[in-house]
Amino acid sequence: MILDIIVNGLINGSVYALLAIGFSLVMGVARIVNIAHTAFYMTSAYFIYMGFTYLNIPPLLAMLCALPVTVALGLLAYKFFIKPIQEHEAAVLIATIALAMVIQEAFLMVFGGHYLGVPPLVSGYALIFGVKVTWQHLLALGVALAVLIGVRFFLMNTKIGLAIRSTAEDREVANLMGMNVTAVAMWAVAVSIGLAAITGAIVVPLVVLDPHMWMHPLIMMLAIVVLGGLGSIEGSFVGAYIIGFTEALVVFLLPMGSFLKDPVALTIMILVLLIKPEGLFGVVFEEER
Amino acid sequence: MRRLGLFLVILLAGLLVVGTSGPAQAVKPIKIGVAGPMSFTQGEGHWNGATLAAMEINEKGGVMVGGTKRPIELIKVDTNEFISIPDATNAMELAISRHNVDFLVGGFRSEAVLVMQDIAMDNKKIFIGCGAAHPKLCTRVTKDYDRYKYWFRLTPINSTFLGKVVFIQLGTVAAMMKKGLGVKDLSVAIIAEKAAWNEPIVAAAKKFLPKMGMKVAGVWRPSPVAKDVTAELGAIERSKANIIFTSFSASVGIPFAKQYGELKIAAPVVGINVEAQKDGFWKATGGKGNYAMTLNTYAKVKITDLTIPFYEKYLKTFGEAPNYTAGTYDAVYLLAKAAEKAGTINSDAVVKVLEKIKDVSTAGVVVFDKSHDVTWGPGYVTSLGTQWQDGKNMCVWPYKWKGVTYEGTVPIKFAPWVIKRYKK
Amino acid sequence: MYWLMANLRQAGIIVRNEVFVLPSRIAVLVFVVALLALPIFTQDPYVLRIIILTSVFALLAASWDFLSGFTGQMNFGHALFFGVAAYTAAKLNLDLSIPPWGSIPLGAVGGVLAGLVVGIPCLRLRGAYLALTTLAFPIILMGVVFALPDFTGGELGISGLSRLSGSRVGDYYITGGCMLVFCFLMWKITDSKTGIILHAIREDEVACRSAGINTTRYKLMAFCISGFFAGISGGLYAHIMRLAGPSTLEVNTSFLVIIWSVFGGMVSIYGPVAGVFILFPMLEFLRFIPQARMLVFAFLVLLTLLYMPEGLIPWIRDKIEKVCPRCKARNLGTRSNCRVCNAVLD
Repeated sequence: MILDIIVNGLINGSVYALLAIGFSLVMGVARIVNIAHTAFYMTSAYFIYMGFTYLNIPPLLAMLCALPVTVALGLLAYKFFIKPIQEHEAAVLIATIALAMVIQEAFLMVFGGHYLGVPPLVSGYALIFGVKVTWQHLLALGVALAVLIGVRFFLMNTKIGLAIRSTAEDREVANLMGMNVTAVAMWAVAVSIGLAAITGAIVVPLVVLDPHMWMHPLIMMLAIVVLGGLGSIEGSFVGAYIIGFTEALVVFLLPMGSFLKDPVALTIMILVLLIKPEGLFGVVFEEER
Repeated sequence: MRRLGLFLVILLAGLLVVGTSGPAQAVKPIKIGVAGPMSFTQGEGHWNGATLAAMEINEKGGVMVGGTKRPIELIKVDTNEFISIPDATNAMELAISRHNVDFLVGGFRSEAVLVMQDIAMDNKKIFIGCGAAHPKLCTRVTKDYDRYKYWFRLTPINSTFLGKVVFIQLGTVAAMMKKGLGVKDLSVAIIAEKAAWNEPIVAAAKKFLPKMGMKVAGVWRPSPVAKDVTAELGAIERSKANIIFTSFSASVGIPFAKQYGELKIAAPVVGINVEAQKDGFWKATGGKGNYAMTLNTYAKVKITDLTIPFYEKYLKTFGEAPNYTAGTYDAVYLLAKAAEKAGTINSDAVVKVLEKIKDVSTAGVVVFDKSHDVTWGPGYVTSLGTQWQDGKNMCVWPYKWKGVTYEGTVPIKFAPWVIKRYKK
Repeated sequence: MYWLMANLRQAGIIVRNEVFVLPSRIAVLVFVVALLALPIFTQDPYVLRIIILTSVFALLAASWDFLSGFTGQMNFGHALFFGVAAYTAAKLNLDLSIPPWGSIPLGAVGGVLAGLVVGIPCLRLRGAYLALTTLAFPIILMGVVFALPDFTGGELGISGLSRLSGSRVGDYYITGGCMLVFCFLMWKITDSKTGIILHAIREDEVACRSAGINTTRYKLMAFCISGFFAGISGGLYAHIMRLAGPSTLEVNTSFLVIIWSVFGGMVSIYGPVAGVFILFPMLEFLRFIPQARMLVFAFLVLLTLLYMPEGLIPWIRDKIEKVCPRCKARNLGTRSNCRVCNAVLD
């Protein structure tokens, strides 16, 4: 049973980590609480479905095509709807909510509220220490870990990564240092949406598609970033695994209450905040004036 | 400023579309409001079933009421009930006060139907429920007859009977396993979405399974909209259960079936899985939903003489098999017959006829009981058990149950990995 | 008689000198009169139902603005207050058969308690942290609702509450009246000394604390007041729908409140009210395109924000009115001199 918990927790956690890190990037660099983040995850999933079902291209190719299309869409949305009102915090907030609703309703209009699915890239399951795990889940885990390492490399070892980190640290100073903050923000948005799209791609064969599928991961993702400390990449990473393992624990230890896995995860988040209001890895900012 | 202009143009274009309104007809039609979440499968079923019935009736000239043949006009009432309850109430009010509907059929989400029911009763409109299974909708009729007598439930059978039927089906599968696979002590894993309609079913399962000679291996209650149940499935596998008893009405049924097939859990699945009643299930699970068994209302079997013609016509017209919300087909016919018999569309008169009606419908013989609920049992509406067998949803129950076997029923099949578990 | 005449004249003078001088105040007057007079012209149950629900949600949006706009405590889980009050009112009404005039205020007390429950752990949080944390509370409560179906009715909710009043018009005046009175009350609070402190907390909490103000107390108070008014609206909703169900706690409810308020214009109380009175009926109006209804709705919100990021009402107000640079009094946009201090307006 412990093995079940570990395997399930790892898989849940890695998928959440991908989402949460993307969200944290934009939050840190562009100061945008992007509610539409998981809506882009859904967008990529739907694009893959469309490619697979209507264009009859193999799932892997559909995934590779969906990624740039989703990122382009995300950048366009950012440029036309978010950037012009960036100075107005409240307006940005509901603009992202409205954007998510637009995406949701657009898919609802095209596909209706039907549950759709994409077949897995690899079918069947593996036995790991007696625990049955689908190959697709293992693949998702592998890709997620690879992407996470890639993101870390990108942030730590490239010039743009450095720019993103420094802008996240202090936007004003980065600007004063002659950095093109706008361009950096664009990069951060692109990477963030890209991560959401990749998550969509690895998750789509595992789940059902419907126009409201963005809501649940959104809530878990928000819980994770708050738990880990807003804008902190490490925090998001650790937070994701905490929430992922919590969900697995609830299912295995409290079978009658497995529907409670979200509330339990959120309660843990609140408990952590009671002790450490800035989250696990958050920095105590001086009052921003 | 130029962009502002574009904005105004969009607004104006929107306003122009409002100008259109419905055509006038010579004979006053009977208006039936079809209420359902029209963007979703359930609402589509409501609308398609009703359209088919209205089409057929109108082709024959309409409904003979008080000496004149009146056509049926359907009003689409998009309740959007999954997203917003206020929306559902507004849509109902609009249908009743603006479109002046004479009757209402449909409804799905229990929380919304309770409110919609109240609005229909306020206006003394007959409302035939075709979607919500909760007994409370009908106990209201016995508690306050004068107010709630305009409510009838045609489909599905209420959740107490749903429970009964699935236990009978569970018993059938258990007998097959004992006889065919030589399993002696059976234990059952119960996995039921966390919803109030499921509480009596889960409680009954825990109570009756030991009486039926089976052990309860465990009870799992995932959220109705869970997207990943591999953890639950892993735990079920650990529990060494021989049979999995499901009770799902919402989207969780799809990931469950998909991941069940992917992980090849070695125990047959019996129970309720509303998603598995739908045609899209096979594609949504990518074929992994093979061998999934569920309680059902329609299948291509001869329940009555009407079933197969209806099934085929529905399939031809809409390109998919009917799911149970398409019971609006029977509801529209029922209303037409009752109105003809009553000779009026006056609600009170039609209620009197409906209370005594014995009508052969596509899902069985419809007789309403004291609480205006559809009667269950052999010779009435029995409901079915269906199993996905290689891309086709086949009827597997009733099969020699109390002398009932519908023409076209096939035996239950076990998945090869289930057979493999017992035959080494 | 004389006394009455004198009072009427006094009122007339006030109306002429204080209301008719500014278009925004005339608009408010017209709105109030129109709202109260509507049933004289139409008693169409559909129209009345929509305005009733609009009023209920207007009160909810205004209460959100009080907390999130004025005090700056960004609340993403406003549905909690609404839902707690709806469930409390429903329970009291059904189990203890307390009539609506008792169950709604008691439900609002439930809202106040919910405000405390959220407010206390959230005192140390601010900004986005606060927003995202508050989002969690209604979802946790929803888990509890599902965990105790015997008590809460599970996904079915608690139904069969007694009616608000006997008639639709009665309901209309109760909800409309409640909305007007309570929104006016909130507006008065924001205009009082307390309101100024709340405003100051939003602008700079540290400065506020260093000025010797117990910000903790004021923030908690803001949570409670907001919870109370949201609670009234939740109770009204439960009695109109005659049902308190889990849909009152959904994330969607919280998000809609935010959309209405920011669309109408935050930090004004009347902005959110106007937002609801525009957006909620608009959704009904859009029924002619049933499939694209929500899409058009969301898109309109998005476009409006692009041109009016401060919200619709402040944008209009700034177009038709000017602020006097010397005495800060508002003036009609066409005036060249301030109506109070006669300074030249630019």
